[in-house]
Amino acid sequence: MEDRPIVELHDVGVKYPNGVTALEGITIDINSKDLIALIGPNGAGKSTLLKIILGLIKPTSGSVKLFGCSDLSKNLKYVGYVPQSALVRDPNLPFNVYETVMIGRTPVVGLFHGTKAEDKQKVEETLKLFGIYELKDRKIGQLSGGQSQRVFLAKAMVSEPKLLLLDEPTSGVDAASKKEFYNILERLNKERGITVILSSHDISVITKIANRVLCVNKSQFFCGENEDFSADAELHKVYGHPVEIVDHHDHP
Amino acid sequence: MITLDVFSLLQAPFIQRAFLISIIIAVLSSILSIFIVLKKISLIGDGLSHTAFGGLALGYYLSIFPLWIAAITVVLGSIGINKALRSTKISGDAAVAVFLQLGLAGGITLLSLARGFGVNLESLLFGSILIVDYTQIVTAAVVATITLTIIFLFFKEMVYITFDETQARAAGIKTWIFDYLLSILSGVVVIIAIPIIGVLLISALLVLPALISTQITKSFKQTIILSPLIGLITVIFGILASVIIDAAPGGTIVLVGLAILALVFLGKRIQGSIVNSKRK
Repeated sequence: MEDRPIVELHDVGVKYPNGVTALEGITIDINSKDLIALIGPNGAGKSTLLKIILGLIKPTSGSVKLFGCSDLSKNLKYVGYVPQSALVRDPNLPFNVYETVMIGRTPVVGLFHGTKAEDKQKVEETLKLFGIYELKDRKIGQLSGGQSQRVFLAKAMVSEPKLLLLDEPTSGVDAASKKEFYNILERLNKERGITVILSSHDISVITKIANRVLCVNKSQFFCGENEDFSADAELHKVYGHPVEIVDHHDHP
Repeated sequence: MITLDVFSLLQAPFIQRAFLISIIIAVLSSILSIFIVLKKISLIGDGLSHTAFGGLALGYYLSIFPLWIAAITVVLGSIGINKALRSTKISGDAAVAVFLQLGLAGGITLLSLARGFGVNLESLLFGSILIVDYTQIVTAAVVATITLTIIFLFFKEMVYITFDETQARAAGIKTWIFDYLLSILSGVVVIIAIPIIGVLLISALLVLPALISTQITKSFKQTIILSPLIGLITVIFGILASVIIDAAPGGTIVLVGLAILALVFLGKRIQGSIVNSKRK
């Protein structure tokens, strides 16, 4: 499974029944241990692309393979996902941090099986790894943006995925929490070999930690190694106007 | 004197039967209410109960097993409502409203045509402690056992879907199966609850216990424990009130539930004020 690309997208496109094109001509092979920066303006199709990889949206053209298999559902247990809306929570949602992270074990535990001691141990380890063990009894709707973001990353990681998909995970989060988040992400990629596809508007930071960049705005504008990415030129093309990158020195 | 009357009434077999079936219904509906409320499909109970009314009317009109006809109608209705809820062409509340209106309009039309069914319509609509028999209690117990077993078997998956359907789908869970399952189980609860609560107020038992408990609890585990307790308190005091004031149990049960909800909101408000004043 490690020898071939983790994700294979070949000329992938999505056209809605009303004829509107959401995405077209996306072709990329994502290899093990890649950290892909997925860049594009709002409405460019970044979330759609991640949902295609997860099988939540069926492409109307092209082909998608996950761990070498066209039946995406077979390998979803190797994928962790943090959606764009993860931070928007109802304060009355009666799930505490421990339960939220435990929910992430569901694909591993399997149908008709209850959680075992090893699942509980894994959850506790993950809570400690992400520095949220002390918050384990807190309701998730009562956490700050930064805390909530770490909880959802922990939930995605507790099933020990090989691929992590993150859809604008730092939106609405303060600078200090962002810095901490990207540090954790870089460690997961470099030390644990987790393949990451990260969609974000924090261009200055994610292009520093990513080894490859994919720029989309309905279609594919750039796909290549980080060192070949010319930020000013490529961002001008993908955003349709000059983009000034402001480095907030969020990342060491 | 009134106390003595109530005490002797409570010893009457029909009252005891009413309590027995109410306890079963309370536990079952309270557990289901957690998934219904958190999935934000609280109106589903109304859609299903009115579909049941249409089914009952059809059964009485045709003079063939009204409850069975209602059960079939409700299961079909629950599948239809769920299909409509999943559709992107119509909004969820409108979808439920369509089924609600269909059931009610069909029932009223059949009722007019038959000039009444030869049954006490009031007891069907608002519930009655007089019409519960042991067969209904046994049926309710069997249905409750099967339903709770199904929930136990798929508990993790149902919790995940309740937490976040998109994330559950992304984790490979076939969420549509569990959505249909939840609708059908809710429909079954509606059918067994008709005798005691009545068609018009059943939906409250599929909403209030979870709505109340989620205001208080700090975890899902606490909610799973507290919700049935609140359901039990609601139906027991509701039936007691029904006996004391000689009113339809459907109304008194729901009023007790609403009173608990109001108390909880009031308590939270007072608690909030105390916390705020301490901060100042």
